[in-house]
Amino acid sequence: MKAWLRRTLRVHAQTRGLLIALDGLDGAGKTTQRRLLKTWLLQHGHRVHISKPTASRAIRPLLKARQHIHALNAQEFCLLGAADFRHRLETDILPAVWEGETVIADGFLLSDIARATSRGLDLDWVLEVYAPLIWPDLSMYFAVSPDTSTTRIAASRAPSFYQAAQDATHIADPVASYKQFVTRARREYEAFARIFDVATVNAEAPIYQQHLRVRKLVQRATRRDWADKNADAVCEWLALAAPPGGRS
Amino acid sequence: MRPKPRPGVLVACDGTRGPDVRDDVLRLLRSLRGQDVSGAVSRWDASGLFEELQVAKRRRRRLSPRTLLLLYAADLAFRVRWEIEPGLAQGRIVVAAPYIATAVAFGAAAGLPRRWVDDVLRFAPTPAVSVCARERKKASGWTAKPLSGFVEFCVATLEAGNPDLDARVYRLPMIKALDAAVSRRHAFRIDRQIVRRIVP
Repeated sequence: MKAWLRRTLRVHAQTRGLLIALDGLDGAGKTTQRRLLKTWLLQHGHRVHISKPTASRAIRPLLKARQHIHALNAQEFCLLGAADFRHRLETDILPAVWEGETVIADGFLLSDIARATSRGLDLDWVLEVYAPLIWPDLSMYFAVSPDTSTTRIAASRAPSFYQAAQDATHIADPVASYKQFVTRARREYEAFARIFDVATVNAEAPIYQQHLRVRKLVQRATRRDWADKNADAVCEWLALAAPPGGRS
Repeated sequence: MRPKPRPGVLVACDGTRGPDVRDDVLRLLRSLRGQDVSGAVSRWDASGLFEELQVAKRRRRRLSPRTLLLLYAADLAFRVRWEIEPGLAQGRIVVAAPYIATAVAFGAAAGLPRRWVDDVLRFAPTPAVSVCARERKKASGWTAKPLSGFVEFCVATLEAGNPDLDARVYRLPMIKALDAAVSRRHAFRIDRQIVRRIVP
């Protein structure tokens, strides 16, 4: 790592904001908890930035257009999803964290990786595609059963083609496909939650009880050492503004 | 691990400038036709991703080299699925222009790890023959329009996102990386001899 980058990381270690990631199956109640958490943080004087999966305005429309005509296979979906994630990270999440805002990322790395591997892609390859990985200061997994997720999602509308992973299951009925997919996805989420030391929130519990658990986790959260954990991702983003060979 | 080569012949043609690659592919196709052999061509941006970015002016939204390479990989996955693999399965000669080495070279010039680029693109079948396009005007960088090639697009995008950046500095490292990326054993310049190497 270049010396000026290391210096910059050290200087910003205490002034940067906290990065909080919320992951889980669709219908787990992440959006509800995100709103409650935002209100609570604002009341406590934090500056809060919400990063939704739609934040990347450059890549997301490309992904959406191809999803609309069912043009993507699992591999292309993963690669475009990774480009979308990287752009969101570099243009929405990292700038806000750097400016000292507490960023709540609704749907982060864990969701993307779990969904890609549930589609049958090789985990090593998926991790490479998303490299360099960025570790949030606090990552929460909202655990919900496949039945509950399916009931909540199917209550208002049929899941979309890619939400139901019909590209991977090849089941014509979107609800049946969704249920089969989330059963697989849940296993992936739980395995990753254990491996990556992600805090689990029981998303079947009453909403306020979940919120209290979220509050506790946020109160206990500390800033990770970026120079140790996220150096590659953050330095790459910082170097974007610097001309090659400059600021030695 | 890369998939094994298919019954057809995959020819990769890489270079740092889109128009040079295009001209050399045309020469190669002419040479093949001279031997009564036809070849299919898989070109950059068959998926239309980059064109859509350009048309919608989303290119200006500061895309990093890594994001650009992920988009290239998505486009290449599309080309492999719809153009390269079907052509090979039919036993045809498929010229992929550009292919893996262009991405590796751009990655090297932009400071991305070679291993990462190789790993991300490992789904692409190994070419039987690799060709490097003749590099013209090495000192002048890139003057063609962004949609004339992947590297032109990247350079225009990076310069739009960072006014301090003079992307001409990428050219020579790219040429060097391209030479190193293309295996000497399988690399040929486009001449009469090459047809004998390609036609089974």
